[in-house]
Amino acid sequence: MTETRNTSRRPTPFWKKINLPQAFKQAPWRSQIQLVGLFLLGLVVVLLVAGIYLTISGQAAEAGLDTYNLAYERRSLERSIADYKAQLAQISSSAVMEERAKSMGFSEANPDNVIYVSVPGYTGRQTAILAPPPGITQTQGAVVKTEYRDSLWDWLFQGINRLSSSVRGNS
Amino acid sequence: MKSLKNLSRPQILGIVLTLFAGLIVFQMISIQSNAHAKNLNQWAQNYGYQVSTIQSERGYIYDRWGNLLAGNKEVYELGVELQYVANPATIATTLASIVGSDYATILAEASQPYVEGKSVYVTLADFVDSSKIAQIDKLKNDYNKSNLYGENSKLPSLLGLVWTAHLQRIYPENDLASNVIGFYSYLDRDKGRGYYGVEEKYNDLLAGTKEQVLIPLDPYDLQTIPTAPAGASLILTIDREIQRSTESILDKAVKSTGAVNGTIVVMNPRNGEILAMASTPRMNLNEYWNSSKIYTTGIPFNKAISQVYEPGSVFKILTMAAALDTNTVTPDTGFTDTGVITVGGWNIYNWDRGAWGPQTMVTCLQHSLNVCLSWVATQVGSTKFYEYLDRFGIGHRTNIDLAGEEVYPLSEPGDPMWYEVNLATNSFGQGVAVTPVQMLMAASAIANDGKMVAPHVLKAYIQDGKQYNTNTQIVGMPITATTAHTLTNMLYTSLQQESSDALVEGYSVAGKTGTAEIAVNGEYSSNLTNASFIGWGPTDNPQFMVYIWLEKPASSIWGSVVAAPVFSEEVKQLVVLMNIPPDSVRASLQGK
Repeated sequence: MTETRNTSRRPTPFWKKINLPQAFKQAPWRSQIQLVGLFLLGLVVVLLVAGIYLTISGQAAEAGLDTYNLAYERRSLERSIADYKAQLAQISSSAVMEERAKSMGFSEANPDNVIYVSVPGYTGRQTAILAPPPGITQTQGAVVKTEYRDSLWDWLFQGINRLSSSVRGNS
Repeated sequence: MKSLKNLSRPQILGIVLTLFAGLIVFQMISIQSNAHAKNLNQWAQNYGYQVSTIQSERGYIYDRWGNLLAGNKEVYELGVELQYVANPATIATTLASIVGSDYATILAEASQPYVEGKSVYVTLADFVDSSKIAQIDKLKNDYNKSNLYGENSKLPSLLGLVWTAHLQRIYPENDLASNVIGFYSYLDRDKGRGYYGVEEKYNDLLAGTKEQVLIPLDPYDLQTIPTAPAGASLILTIDREIQRSTESILDKAVKSTGAVNGTIVVMNPRNGEILAMASTPRMNLNEYWNSSKIYTTGIPFNKAISQVYEPGSVFKILTMAAALDTNTVTPDTGFTDTGVITVGGWNIYNWDRGAWGPQTMVTCLQHSLNVCLSWVATQVGSTKFYEYLDRFGIGHRTNIDLAGEEVYPLSEPGDPMWYEVNLATNSFGQGVAVTPVQMLMAASAIANDGKMVAPHVLKAYIQDGKQYNTNTQIVGMPITATTAHTLTNMLYTSLQQESSDALVEGYSVAGKTGTAEIAVNGEYSSNLTNASFIGWGPTDNPQFMVYIWLEKPASSIWGSVVAAPVFSEEVKQLVVLMNIPPDSVRASLQGK
């Protein structure tokens, strides 16, 4: 038996050797498996989407409840702050302060025992400034980072924009 | 068609799964569309939102240095959720012992049967301090440990007792500056509002917003919880220390002179800022319900702005200002006082019914001679005289930013109630009525180079996190700067020559006393007077202007005896609190 080798021809790929119609005819369960596979793939996709949707919904609901709780806590804190301010005002009221001063041995000043000293640059006691004037605008930093506010599309488009602008910038 | 027997196992599995999926879809549609679902949707629409009243925190009130004069403290409303009440007797006992409520009332309230939708919650007490709530909370927890869920009705239980926090107006300084601040009727949680003072005048600004809103119960919508920004806060021109000192001086003066009431107002004549405004009687603003007992009929909340009276001789400074400004007289103009002058057919006499002989305009003011000032007014002429009074704002409101300002109309030539003699009586402050703050505004022109400033108590307000400062308002220039300086010097000289009790060692002050008889049943009574003093200083650079009014003093009827020393006492405190050195020290410091 003589074995000849044709080195000039390339080997035929294996899929070209398979006769698909014949294969499905010989094993009809293949098409059923294909159908079931497609169905299951669809089901997995649907379940995946549903799962993501449920997760996001759950997180949104949790965030909503957190918002509610935080709003409640904020109101509670505002009341506490107001209460502390009132308490502070009561323990530093003029009557209380006068009593404390007297108990510490201080007495009321009168014009005869006051010594005036000139302090260069001192313009006197300034009246209360409890908030900035209307001309000044305060720049507030974003409370929530953009990463947590952007959607997937925003992130994608921004990435593309950044990429394209950097390419334009380089060229 | 294939029979079931011919189906392969995967096919059967596929059919079963498909049927199962179909059932799920069917059930989903069924749940969404059946009658119960419709009811549920309706219920969700009705109860998906909670109606809630959001109310801004009432704004704070500060003095000029930022000391809190009116704020808010946390208190609690105590109530029972009838559905959960296990032992009403325990609730009644607890509230009676800790809060001080009536046992029988609480027991009856807490024993009410629960009726769904009708009788659910009952308020038992309100404005309960947090310290008492802490005691109740501890008790409730202790009872819960031994009688969880209140199952044993024989054991004590506070189940069903609940409390809700809210804010209550508080005035940390109690009665300090009560006449200026006014009060907020906090007991009325629905319709509470400010009464008197700045609480009433700036009620809308302080209150912020109050509205009913729908708060979604759906957690997906919760990010839209509405909020109410706090009401605006006010910074007053009042100086707490000066106010306290002024009230103390006033109380002592009223007591020592036997006056019925008194008023002292301190103003900066340069800008109209009221530094202190004290009046009697005052009240603890935290117990505002006593106001109707304290301020009975005829007693205004703030006499400095709400009670007009005949000021007497302090008014002479306006007459002299008009005469100097019209060049009718100069400080050296001579006048021979014969003790009587006839105007419009009526004889006018001096306060002592004496004749003071040759006088100058300075000595006329120094001796407070009615005859001389009547003559001056006649020389000015009624047209010019009333024109000047009008320029000084007499007969008009000052529009000070406090609720309840009163004004007495000025009778002028041509009015049915005006007679020629009015020109004379008005010249020395009789037959004309003003409030202390009106006199201060008029006299501010003399102390402030001829420029009359609007008196005000609001220095700034804070809204939406920004502080808006108020500006000085010049409301007129009734006299020239020259006239103002001349008159100030005349009043300074007259006090010096008189060796007045109003003088303060080391400080140059100008001023004028006033004693006005009070009309009783249409007749002036020489025993009942209003004693007044108006003064300012330092004369070269006025930084304060003080008005004193003592009503019906008993120790002496004369302003020079009872009111002038009060001015001196007030100024002695003012110069310390305002850091005003004596004239000599100031001159040497300025020289440096």
